[in-house]
Amino acid sequence: MQNKNCGPLAGVKILDLTCVLSGPFGTSWLSDMGAEVIKLENPNGGDYTRKSGPFINGYSNYFATVNRNKKTITMNLKDPKAKEMFFELVKQVDVVTENFKPGTMEKLGIGYDVLKKINPKLVFASISGYGQTGPYAHRPGYDVVSQAMGGIMSYTGFPENGPSKCGPSIGDITAGMNLCMGVLAGLYKAKTTGTGERVELSLVDSVLALTTQDYIDYGHTKILPQQLGNGYSLWCPYGSYKAKDRYYSIGVGTDKHWHDFCTLILKKPELEHDPRFAGPLDRVHNRKEMDEYVNAWAQQLPAAEVVEQVNAVGIPCALVYDFADIEADENFTVHRQMIKTMHHPEMGDILYINNPLRFTESGLKEPEPAGTLGQYNEEIYGKYLGLTPQEVAQLKENGTI
Amino acid sequence: MEQNQSKGPLQGVTVLDLTRVVAGPFCTGWLADMGATVIKIENPGDGGDHSRVSEPVVNGVSAWYAVLNRSKQTVTLNLKDPEGKALFLELVKKADVVTENFRPGVMDRLGLGYEDLAKVNPKIIFASVSGYGSYGPYSQRPGYDVISQGMGGIMSLTGFEDGPPTKVGTTLGDITAGMNMAIGILAALQCVHTTGKGQKLEVALVDSVFAMVPFEFLLYSITGKVPPRRGNHYNIWCPYGTFKAADGYYQLGVGTEKHFQLLCNVMEKPELIEDPRFTDHIARMANKGVLYPIIDAWAAQYTVKQVAEQLNAVGIPCSGVYDLKDISEDPHFTQRDMIKTMEHPQIGNFSYVNMPVRFFGTPLVEPRAAGDLGAYNESVYTQLLGLDEEKLKQLHEKGVI
Repeated sequence: MQNKNCGPLAGVKILDLTCVLSGPFGTSWLSDMGAEVIKLENPNGGDYTRKSGPFINGYSNYFATVNRNKKTITMNLKDPKAKEMFFELVKQVDVVTENFKPGTMEKLGIGYDVLKKINPKLVFASISGYGQTGPYAHRPGYDVVSQAMGGIMSYTGFPENGPSKCGPSIGDITAGMNLCMGVLAGLYKAKTTGTGERVELSLVDSVLALTTQDYIDYGHTKILPQQLGNGYSLWCPYGSYKAKDRYYSIGVGTDKHWHDFCTLILKKPELEHDPRFAGPLDRVHNRKEMDEYVNAWAQQLPAAEVVEQVNAVGIPCALVYDFADIEADENFTVHRQMIKTMHHPEMGDILYINNPLRFTESGLKEPEPAGTLGQYNEEIYGKYLGLTPQEVAQLKENGTI
Repeated sequence: MEQNQSKGPLQGVTVLDLTRVVAGPFCTGWLADMGATVIKIENPGDGGDHSRVSEPVVNGVSAWYAVLNRSKQTVTLNLKDPEGKALFLELVKKADVVTENFRPGVMDRLGLGYEDLAKVNPKIIFASVSGYGSYGPYSQRPGYDVISQGMGGIMSLTGFEDGPPTKVGTTLGDITAGMNMAIGILAALQCVHTTGKGQKLEVALVDSVFAMVPFEFLLYSITGKVPPRRGNHYNIWCPYGTFKAADGYYQLGVGTEKHFQLLCNVMEKPELIEDPRFTDHIARMANKGVLYPIIDAWAAQYTVKQVAEQLNAVGIPCSGVYDLKDISEDPHFTQRDMIKTMEHPQIGNFSYVNMPVRFFGTPLVEPRAAGDLGAYNESVYTQLLGLDEEKLKQLHEKGVI
């Protein structure tokens, strides 16, 4: 699926000023889909994550994968000559992305109001911790803060542990996904109307947007969602349980699932209309007793057998996987191609998680790892600004790039 | 950011939406927020999308359905009926996008697979979402959010080291699959502009969850060690996670060495900066048993609000851990337009979480709550297909619509 080598965004040009995780994650997906992403870094060390582990042979694997396919160039945006070059690049690209603290681009003299005069079709997209507006716009933001303030921690995990964080950086990741969406919707508008768009979003808002149903419930009842550990507020049995050897997840959602679960799995047809369990909310309410029936049946069985039996009657069920399990399952490596390998000149072959979108016609671009700091200076400045290798070398010596 | 007058960046895009329950409708809800015309097609015979009866139900109407399907035009159509099929193909001629989340293969068996639709409209984008995807060893298994969280690896990373793998409170698999579907559709629309051709695309819940753990997967692929659950803390930075103040929990994000120096100064313990036990993240992680009590003793003198103000003032990311009540009372979320109110004829006024991407040129459209089953039959079939009242009545009686 990835060998068609163009992707649906072939022809789109993005000038990417973002660093660390949220922005680069978003633009890496845009690059997977075929956009040309020019990653602009300051010549003095560049993106902070170049120095973040895990390292192989002194190179950051994190940086190499999250900046895959990008053409890395350097530019000192405080240098007046560099600014002229920046404006020249802006004329030729479709999108500028940035995740500085709100107000930084304006202070540098390269805010949207300036750039749109140079390129009226430009889509200018910003990510920040709290957004460009609101009482906290000036605060520094990190994933850990967005998970806390976006409400998701308050009902994740078990009550005895207090509010619990989602393991991965879902604030950064979902903000990156929203960046993709905003950029693409902005491009659509630019194509159809001839004028560009200013797009912005925040980590905190992106996390809150994940809580939809729970927020509506709260808004209506004013009862806060409970920490249900591995259970669910609307359905039961719906969550994770332990079989003889390991954990599995099961989802009894519809009345048919419940009927089949009682008769074909538990082999206790009398439970179906037992007043304690008759409706989904009855089962949620009597979850402890319900779970005892589930465990009495599954605790003696290997989890793999539970998964087979339950899927065979049409009820969703799967093992709870860690990375060793995922890597060992051909679903991810061979069939879905969710784990891919790319070759890095210094690090050798590195594994990474692929973009989850599958386009049957245009495919995704075959990945290349991120370049070294300024690796593409000659190519990009040559192609976009017509500079000779000698001129590029001179600019480098001057500290402009 | 006035939503009132705007038509959104996707004005002019028409989506025929066959999806039900959460993942698909979430996606098309956001497309509708961005201005797309979304025609939601439901089966006339079985009461339509079964989330019409999902909690919270107010005055006999599901508020969850009303929000998920906001701004869509609800029509009924029996896709198994030959006349219904013909009408659907007529609609496809007038549309840009078809979305569906049937079990893989169902649309083909109905004679309405991508190939069939592309014959009547080569520009059509056909977007599918399913639990495991349309190919791979599990493509025929039923899928639910709980399965994707179990199998996508996120549960193995969430929760405390001595506790079980833990589910994320919200239905993360559904929501992120919906977001990915929106990204895919927007990218494919871009491709239609450049190539003149539509295509089929798909996303899976399991893949979407797995795509959220890129960094943790890298750690695993390099070390070969399955990353342990870290509760409310982080694998590579320290102190980075949840701590306790006098009146509750707060989040502290020390990402850089400068942050740590600033923290020591705020705590009035500058001697810690040079302390060999705390020189970098790795050393601090090894000595967290010493460091955390120092931080806790300092924070115990202050409320969460005071801690957050002091730390943010010097540039260290920090916030309280919010529940949904805190969110609804903090002006940040209303100023950011993250919480909006919508009026529903049966339910009355109620609030919901808005889409988090902000477009300054073409803000999101003002939402309308979802309509009753078939509420838009007359306007859609009259305007798009030119059917008259008599024909509509006939189709309704025959159970076609």
